[in-house]
Order: sequence, then structure tokens, then C-alpha cells
Amino acid sequence: MKKTEYIKLIDTTKCTACRGCQVACKQWNEMPAMRTRNFGSYQNPPDLQWNTWTLIRFQEHVDKNGDFKWLFRKDGCMHCTEAACIKVCPSGALYHTEYGTVGINQKLCIGCKACISACPFDIPRFNQQTEKIYKCDLCYDRLKDGQQPACALSCPTGAITVGEREAMIDKAYGRLDQLEGKGIVYGDKFVGGTHVMYILSEDPAVYDKLPVKPRIPASVILWKNLFKPFTLIGMGAVAGMAALHYLIKGPHEVHENKEGDE
Amino acid sequence: MSGKILNMVRVTDPIERIAHWLLAGSCLFCLFTGLGLMFRSWDFIPALLGGLYATKWMHIFSGVVFAFTLIYAFMMWKKDCAFEPDDAKWIAQGGGYLWKTNNLPPVYKYNAGQKLFFWFVVVFGVLIVLSGLVIWNPLVFPTAVARWSYALHALSALVIGSFFVVHLYLGTIGNPGTFQAMTTGWCSKAWCETHCPRWLAEREKDPSES
Repeated sequence: MKKTEYIKLIDTTKCTACRGCQVACKQWNEMPAMRTRNFGSYQNPPDLQWNTWTLIRFQEHVDKNGDFKWLFRKDGCMHCTEAACIKVCPSGALYHTEYGTVGINQKLCIGCKACISACPFDIPRFNQQTEKIYKCDLCYDRLKDGQQPACALSCPTGAITVGEREAMIDKAYGRLDQLEGKGIVYGDKFVGGTHVMYILSEDPAVYDKLPVKPRIPASVILWKNLFKPFTLIGMGAVAGMAALHYLIKGPHEVHENKEGDE
Repeated sequence: MSGKILNMVRVTDPIERIAHWLLAGSCLFCLFTGLGLMFRSWDFIPALLGGLYATKWMHIFSGVVFAFTLIYAFMMWKKDCAFEPDDAKWIAQGGGYLWKTNNLPPVYKYNAGQKLFFWFVVVFGVLIVLSGLVIWNPLVFPTAVARWSYALHALSALVIGSFFVVHLYLGTIGNPGTFQAMTTGWCSKAWCETHCPRWLAEREKDPSES
């Protein structure tokens, strides 16, 4: 069943924010554009949308030395190994593909939106018209065909590359050496390892909407690992106790001629 | 119409019985559809109901019925189910259900166990309704509220589901002669002397009661 796991490495130190990946993503997945309003940033649209699965986030940052930096981060599904969205999805619409990525089968989606609040990266988006969830599937159709994802193909600087898991992790740490310690690898240390990794030039806490320590929410673990099984265990245990009571103690009979005894 | 049935006492009125079955029916249907939504291995439930999407909406509609009936049931039974000092003694003796006891305090309309069940349903019913409203529209609430609502919803279902099994047992085979309280509404006088003696005595004093 398990084939090769793939990882998409996003090297933010090479990103020029040309947004070719955003356009390529929309084109390949045939997602329409929507009219937006300029909010004082090149970041457009302002956030991920049901029809925008990847977005370059533009961020103005002043570091400790007072140096100004413009940070670009390509946001989108991180394709977690321990994926909270898959854990909460009631229909199986969200699933792990043979590449370790998180695929989505919209035919099965019932629009419950549970994945939206469960996701530690705030990725899935809901479409009111179709009542379905949308997000990046790392171009599952292209991977199956031996092609790289549309975003990676479009990237002119080589900031987005895709390859086999081990090789890409090696590549990420190799790049750190080139950067002489001025980079951080993000993605291999949590949620069982993500299938999208970053090389960041700053500390993860600096970036907008990037969790420093993402994990499956505690509420999801309580819900799915404890309360869910105990619904059946609890009802079953009580039914068992009732049956034992009936067999050992017997029913509470009404006594015809005596008042409230027992 | 009271004396028509010999040695029988009408213990519930039709409104109580309708409310009871609306509450029970909507609750059980929510439990059934909820299990179908929660356990993917139980896909016979959505298959029976026309798919998971349809099951989701049936769960929501049934939940709305449950919510309104719960409000009505609360108003109707809160007085009969208010705790009194003797209830502690009843609980301490397990209501006579678990071991032999001989000094159970005489019960008015409902015993302490029934009252406890009522209050558990009210409290966890309110929680399951409120968390259900959040889960229905999770995007209009802060993420933390939405996240914890799912856990709270499942916990409430666990509690109500388990208490339901106790209620089912004690309302049927565990207490012969009880079930008709919620069907015809008539129970035997002997049953009343066993289960609600103080209420029966007060009722017999007042001839205007049916």
C-alpha cells in the first residue's frame, strides 16, 4: 500500500514573491479568481480562500538590530502525518494518499466544517455554494502522473522543489549549511512530520499565522480518543450492569398489600 | 372519569406523555444519527437514512426538536424534580435497588434517582444543544470555542446515552408496572403505594383530582 512519501520543500530564502505559484495553482486546479480590495499590501487575496489554495504572505519585519526585512512565505496545506483534519473528518473525504500527503475527495464531503477548526495551520476553506471543503492536495493527480505539482513547476528561482521524503530532509539540512546557520528548517519536528517543509530565514514565531509548535488540538484528542470510544463503552457497561442487576437482584416488584416497603 | 378503572390511578397527563416521547424520540434519533456520524464503521446508519449528508441534517433537525422539547419539559417537571432533604437518604440507600433496606423515606412524585436523571438530562441537554449550535456554525465562533464544542458535544452524548440505558431498564423490565405510566398514563394503586406513596396519599385526600 505504502509507496514513496513525497515532501515539498519551500525555501523562503529563495522566494522573490513573484506569486507564479499562486497563479499556476489556480490555473491547474481551475479555480476562479475573486475581486479583492487592496489593504495596503502586495499580499493578494488577503487570505486563503476556497478558490485560493496557496498564498504568498507578505510581511514587513524589523529584526533585533533594527534591520528591515521583507518576509515572503508560501502558505497552504502542510500535509501532516498526524493530520487533525483526517482525524475529525466523519466521511473519509480527507485521507492520506500513498505519497503521505492529505488528499481530498469532495464527493464524500458533507460540509460539516469539523476540519476547519481542527487544523492547527488554519488551512481548509468552505464554499457556501457547493457546501464543500477545499484545500491544496499537493497536485495528487500530477504526482500520480509522475509530474511535479503546478506550484513547483512554475517557480522560477527553485524555491519550491518536490522529492522523496528522506532526500528532501537531507536537502533541507544541506541548505542550512549553505546559509551558514542563518536558516531554520520547519516541518520535520511535529505532527509526525509534515509533507511540506520550510526553510525560514527568521524564527518561526516571527511569521504571521505560522504556529511555532503545531499539534493536534487537545480537544480533538479528548473527543476522538476518549469520549468517542467511551460512548459505546459507557452505554455497553451500563447495559451490562442492568442485565446483571436483573439476573442477581431481580426486578423491583410491586407488593399488592404492603405500602412502600423494601 | 377517575373511578372508571378500578384500583388504577392516572399518574401522568397526556401533555406529559407527549413531551416525554418527543424528548425521548428526538434524543434517541440524535443518538442514532450521531453514532452514524461519529463511527465510520457504522455506515449502515447513513446508508439507511440516505447518506451522510442527509444524516447530518436529520441530526440537526432532531436536535432542534430536542432543544425546544427540553425547554418545555424543564418548565413542566422542575417542580416535581426539585430536591428535598429526604432525597439524600434515598440516595445513601441506593433507593433499595442495590441492597436490602427497610427505612427508605417515602417518595412524593419522583424518587431521588428519577430526579437525578432529570437534572442530568437538563444540564447535559443544555450543553449538548449549545455545543451543537456551535458545531452547526463553527466559523462564526472563535476557534477555541469551536474546538472545545466538539469535545463537549461528545462528552454530553456519552453521559446522556449512558443514563438513557439506566432509564430504559428502570422504566421497563426493572420495575414491572411502570412503563404504562408513559403509555396509557394509568398505574395500579399498589404501584403508586410502592413508588410514590406521599403523592398518592395527598391525591386521595383531595377529591377534586381526577
